Amino acid sequence: MTKEKYLNFILITYLIFIFVFIFTPIAFSVIFSFNSQRFPTIPLGNFSLEWYIKIFNDPGVWQAAINSVIVSLVTCILATFLGFCTAYSDYRYRFKFKGLYLALVLLPPTIPLIILALAMLAWLSKIGMSGQLWSIICAHSVLTAPFAMAIIRLRLNQIDPDLESAAWNLGGSEWATMRYVILPYCKPAIISSLCLTAAVSFDEFAISWFVSGLNKTVPVIILEIVQGNIDPQVNAIGTFVFFTSMTLVITAQIFFLTWQMKGKNK
Amino acid sequence: MKPTKNNLNIYSLTFRLPIIIWQLLFFVGPVLFMVAMSFFLVKNYRMTEAFEFINWTKMFSKNYFWDSYWFTIIIAGTSTLLTMLIAFPASFTLAFKVSDNIRRWAIFMLIIPFFTSYLVRTFSWYVILAEKGVINAFFSYLDLGPFKMLNTHIGTLVGYMTLTLPLVIILQTVTMANIDRNLIEAAYNLGCKPKSIIQRVIIPLSKTGFIIAAVFCFILSFGDFVAPFYLGGSQEPTLPILILDTTKSGQQWPRAAVVAIVMMITLFSIAFIGIMTAYSKSFKK
Amino acid sequence: MTTKKNNRRNFLKLSGATALSIPFVSRAWASTVELNMLAWYGHGEPDIVSEFEAANNVKFVPKYYAGGDNMLALIAQSPPGTYDIILSDAEFVQQLNMAGYIEDLEPSDYPFDDMLHEDFTKFPGHWANGKLHSVMVRGGHLGVSYNKTVISEEEAQSYSCFWKPEVKGKVGHFDWHLPNLGMMSLYKGNGSGLWDLDNKKWQAVQDVTMSLRSQVGGYFDYGGTFNSLKNGEMLAMCGIGDWITGVLEKDGAPVGSVIPKEGGIQWTESYCIGKGTDKVDIIKKFINYMLSPVGQVKSAQMAAYPGFCITKAGRAALIEADPKEAKRSHQMEGMPNDPIALINDGRIHYRDIPKQQTLEDWNDFWSEYKNA
Repeated sequence: MTKEKYLNFILITYLIFIFVFIFTPIAFSVIFSFNSQRFPTIPLGNFSLEWYIKIFNDPGVWQAAINSVIVSLVTCILATFLGFCTAYSDYRYRFKFKGLYLALVLLPPTIPLIILALAMLAWLSKIGMSGQLWSIICAHSVLTAPFAMAIIRLRLNQIDPDLESAAWNLGGSEWATMRYVILPYCKPAIISSLCLTAAVSFDEFAISWFVSGLNKTVPVIILEIVQGNIDPQVNAIGTFVFFTSMTLVITAQIFFLTWQMKGKNK
Repeated sequence: MKPTKNNLNIYSLTFRLPIIIWQLLFFVGPVLFMVAMSFFLVKNYRMTEAFEFINWTKMFSKNYFWDSYWFTIIIAGTSTLLTMLIAFPASFTLAFKVSDNIRRWAIFMLIIPFFTSYLVRTFSWYVILAEKGVINAFFSYLDLGPFKMLNTHIGTLVGYMTLTLPLVIILQTVTMANIDRNLIEAAYNLGCKPKSIIQRVIIPLSKTGFIIAAVFCFILSFGDFVAPFYLGGSQEPTLPILILDTTKSGQQWPRAAVVAIVMMITLFSIAFIGIMTAYSKSFKK
Repeated sequence: MTTKKNNRRNFLKLSGATALSIPFVSRAWASTVELNMLAWYGHGEPDIVSEFEAANNVKFVPKYYAGGDNMLALIAQSPPGTYDIILSDAEFVQQLNMAGYIEDLEPSDYPFDDMLHEDFTKFPGHWANGKLHSVMVRGGHLGVSYNKTVISEEEAQSYSCFWKPEVKGKVGHFDWHLPNLGMMSLYKGNGSGLWDLDNKKWQAVQDVTMSLRSQVGGYFDYGGTFNSLKNGEMLAMCGIGDWITGVLEKDGAPVGSVIPKEGGIQWTESYCIGKGTDKVDIIKKFINYMLSPVGQVKSAQMAAYPGFCITKAGRAALIEADPKEAKRSHQMEGMPNDPIALINDGRIHYRDIPKQQTLEDWNDFWSEYKNA
């Protein structure tokens, strides 16, 4: 027994070490954002809000933040809708060329972003759709729909096989069954899918840089600063976005948990 | 319920068609156009539509193209192997050694990195790994170092892992946590040693999830530009760097498209083989 | 007590509302004209444009590119008239013009009689068939950029210092073939013929470049170049000059740039007016603003990267406003490294594209070199 305790101790230590590895860059990014040095080095300079003041006073950053919110909101709704439809089709039906159908949906994430970006730019400008906010939205929805599909498909797997047919036997139409049985059942998966696709879209810079034209999103601004003259504004933007999105996610999580608890108590 | 046989009505098409139309417009369209573009010509900085194989023959005849190709496969493969191995003990702990509640929070914590900019995290590593950086400052207290980590393969691998490790741990943990505990219990009661439980019960049962995690890890590393460029100093250049370089030679997008298509075919094949193996029902002893 | 509380609450409310609305106030002016600018990073940042914006009720919307090819691609993939004003490296102006992306300019609109050097009035590629297409606004010189703790100023007088054993694995490249191979060409003694290489000379340039490979520690974009020179990861850097080290020097790093005896290269940035814009007048005004003493001083002090003044009045204003920076960058008559004196001495060559090879040839070699 003591041997197992010893082993557990090692494993937990290892786990903590892994978390340290994952969170080190995030922590340092936060530290550098409050550091007065133009080029962060060790030892640190003084505490400073300079970089926050800079980004706060830059209307370009605000515009980018608004663009990012629009893009990720529309993308997550579109991608989740597409993902749900596909997952349901896969779950419910057998049809010809189903393999091809699924490949069509699942392939985009296997293409490196930089290639997808290049192809998207060439294609969208060919059909006269480049340089707009919705160019980014179209591209991002293609990229994230497979994630939505995967999450929702997993949930559909857990559904009681007889549930849907039972609803039909009780006289519900297919549409009503969808509305009152399937959708409520998938609700948690749909919410997770909305969050995940929004997060992926919110941090994507390669495609956005290529197709956005003058409509920058936050990651595009970060990329421009990193390529141009790297300064801690990127840390300030990163930290600000991080805490904002974390607040939203945690709020949503807590809201979701209490809502679930209430449901159980009924 | 078994999947219903194909019946085309408004209800079924409502769910089947949207993605087909959407992907044709914004996925198949771009990819096909890129394939077409690889046959275009560039004259005086301007792309002209044509059907010539010159871009393909030129790229394939260059040694640097093949050097980059194999290097990218090797480094992405190494990254995948290392990430899977490094992740396993952590995922194992999360799946079997902690309470459900802690596991939920841990997974939540692992999602956090997705909400921070990958570029910003990379920029932080830059300062941490530098010869005058945080890690070497620590080593110098111990009278060790300095160790060169930036602009080497170590830098590249750290960058890749920044991107992939959280995802791989999540996938591994979820897979292992879903294994029926009774099976493990049974194996234990039958006198199996922990080591052989892992080898004979846990790993075979998590095969699908593990392969999918590995495939994802490989795809992300193979296509990532940021880590090999900013942390690896392009030593040596991977294919994504080669794509960007190619576009710097007087609008050579067609040749960049050649590189892109080769990358795509490689990744398709690997993903296909991976998924085939993942879902194949082989019962090994 | 209650009133006090109320007041405080109101105050909080009010300040909260103000804080939230600050970023939007600037865009509340309905009549603000937006100017789409395509440029290198920094040219549309507040330190350069905010005064002009306030005085003329315009707003710049910048899109930043990373290299001339990048710029051409962005213009090619956007509908005509997308970009009102384009900042281009001089050698790409010809391409912009040939592709029909830019408007003709009226020479009398610009202060050509005040230029510090007569080359700047008739800059190569800016004129075609007697018509002006672009106006130079600033420039900078590329030479040996080095860390002063390991390379002495004497050693830096030749490109051979890149081969010093002390900097093995510590020589960085700015990741673009043109300036790097141009420097190697100068090192091989090609002088003013640095871009015009026959097969034999081109081979010699390739050979000498390859011999540098084992010294090289990495290839970087501007962000990476800044960082690696600053934290000592790289001790010498090829393909850049004072516009990088100047920023770091001001930040206290022991780095500098000199023009070695084999000669240096000049980068030149010029403004063009995008084809199809309907905002010609205000853009003309902005280009003149950048050429005015105020604009020239801003350009010399630009936060992203400094460029030297090209008008006499601009230089005088810089010496007046910021003598320290003028001295640091040698922008004073009589200083041995005065950029204009260097041009007059024939030690500076304008960046160009290869004459006898294509850009693809150079880039092919560059890829080979990186993979070696």
